[in-house]
Amino acid sequence: MLLTYDRLGTLKYLLWAIVIGVCIFLLVPIAFIIALSFGSSKWLAFPPPAWTLRWYEALAADPRWLAAALTSLKIGVLVTISSVLLGLLASLAIIRGRFPGRDFLQGLFLMPMVLPVVVFAVATYLLFLRVGLGGTLVGFVVAHTVLAFPFAFITISNSLRGFDKSIEDAAVLCGAPPLIAFLRITLPSIRLGLFSAALFSFLISWDEVVVAIFMASPELQTLPVLIWAALRQELSPTIAAASSLLVLVTLVLMILIAALRRRFVE
Amino acid sequence: MSQPFLLIQELRKLFGDVAAVDGASLQVRRGEFLSFLGPSGSGKSTTLYAVAGLDMPTSGDVLLEGHTLLQTPPHKRNIGMVFQRYTLFPHLKVAENIAFPLRVRGWAQKDVTRRVEEMLALVRLDGFGGRMPSQLSGGQQQRVALARALAYDPPLLLMDEPLSALDKKLRDEIQVEIRRIHQTTGVTILYVTHDQEEALRLSDRIAVFNRGRIEQVGTGQELYANPATRFVAGFVGDSNFLDVASVEAGNGGRADVTMPDGTRFADIPLHVSGSRAISSRPQLMVRPQAIRIQPGDGAGLPVRIKDITFLGDTVSALLSTRWDQDIWMRLPAHDIGTHSPMQEVRVVWNVEDSHLFQT
Repeated sequence: MLLTYDRLGTLKYLLWAIVIGVCIFLLVPIAFIIALSFGSSKWLAFPPPAWTLRWYEALAADPRWLAAALTSLKIGVLVTISSVLLGLLASLAIIRGRFPGRDFLQGLFLMPMVLPVVVFAVATYLLFLRVGLGGTLVGFVVAHTVLAFPFAFITISNSLRGFDKSIEDAAVLCGAPPLIAFLRITLPSIRLGLFSAALFSFLISWDEVVVAIFMASPELQTLPVLIWAALRQELSPTIAAASSLLVLVTLVLMILIAALRRRFVE
Repeated sequence: MSQPFLLIQELRKLFGDVAAVDGASLQVRRGEFLSFLGPSGSGKSTTLYAVAGLDMPTSGDVLLEGHTLLQTPPHKRNIGMVFQRYTLFPHLKVAENIAFPLRVRGWAQKDVTRRVEEMLALVRLDGFGGRMPSQLSGGQQQRVALARALAYDPPLLLMDEPLSALDKKLRDEIQVEIRRIHQTTGVTILYVTHDQEEALRLSDRIAVFNRGRIEQVGTGQELYANPATRFVAGFVGDSNFLDVASVEAGNGGRADVTMPDGTRFADIPLHVSGSRAISSRPQLMVRPQAIRIQPGDGAGLPVRIKDITFLGDTVSALLSTRWDQDIWMRLPAHDIGTHSPMQEVRVVWNVEDSHLFQT
């Protein structure tokens, strides 16, 4: 007999309690940070004695924060482009290709997901120092692309697996050269996978901090790195404001992914 | 003789060591509806894909009006194809699906619009142009696929089991449509199916595939009345294969046959497939419909009636020979008369309705 929700009886309430507990545990710190960013207390007292926007004004007034946000954005966009392109090419090879070592290659593609980030960060740091990529934009983009790539690869290869190759063949027999058939028929058909891959790739780069700390230089800092650095100097509500903005961007992108999915399913 | 419209010559396709198509040759006339009939894995789809250009044959040739197709990439062959699976472009409306081959050919917008309307009318889907493929039933999707494949007036249309995903009633309906469309457009059609009834109903001629080879090509009647091989006899129509004790080859491709119980039949048409020697397990093939009950105590094969099933107009009877082999007999309901199970009777058939196969 299956244990279904309706059969649980009083256990239902326990289940609800656990669910609510987990949600609180996940959401309260975020809500807390957002509340503090609007609080007037310089010492991050809670509950805040009064509400204010001055920490956001301070944020806007300090050029370091704006520069870091722009750096994060620039890196994020470049990572998105390279990760989606590589993910698409890799997916084509793995899903459509028939060659020895295919399974091994697929495993290799997923490696960055299971490798401890700090190990990857140290290794990349040492390598980049040697080849002169440490502290550069290119170094940042390459390192983040490695982290984002497995997610792009999984998302795009799933879309491509769900796309019947016969549809592309039909386009070719209709008279479309293979490349045209791919661009006009296959790509639009897997666009949800491509969009999802792009958003995930951007998000991974946007809030990545471990590798970024190793890659950063005084001239090149991402938003998470600056938050981290600022936090070590002083505990200021400005950091809470910056964190809130970071959360806001992430939230907007996640909602975008959900909305796209829903529209596509309909 | 004038050159055939489509000529398939000694086609072979190897996948590793396995030959999916093993020397298939075939001539197709212009305007003909020819079906490839055979079980799955018999090479019929692989042959079709070689004609389409989606699969490169290992050896052999495919010639359209005397010119080889093999050097032409698939998008330049100007061949229409309807696939087994639904292949409408999911992100394009029905009208844009049909317009796609015209747009890649650079047609002017007003010609495209007119042609799309014509094609929608041809497959009886007028007014469906604005729908998305996901809003159509399976049968409608295959009709749009047919319209798309015919929009650019290809001389040759390939269909790879286009109805196998549909239910029986819908299949019958669309078969009628396909037949009508073949007659109105005059396009030459190669149609792959594993369903003998579908092949018989649609085609002018049928090529029966087995293990990568074409066993026989002919009209439905020819295949049914004069199967060239034991495989064709078993695959097209119902059939009984009776054990044979001995065979004496006679004149003109005929033989005298002695059954295991001593009953003799003379002048049976003889078919030899594979090795020429009259050797391993010859079998006598008789259609269930060809068997009759002999009135009185005349000649014929003595059998016992095991079971009788009424099927409306006809009756199906299961008979058992003296050497315990089951035979099916099908006869008009009133012909069964007073016969009942467990009864011993003698059965006969026209010599021309039975065939001896050497396997």
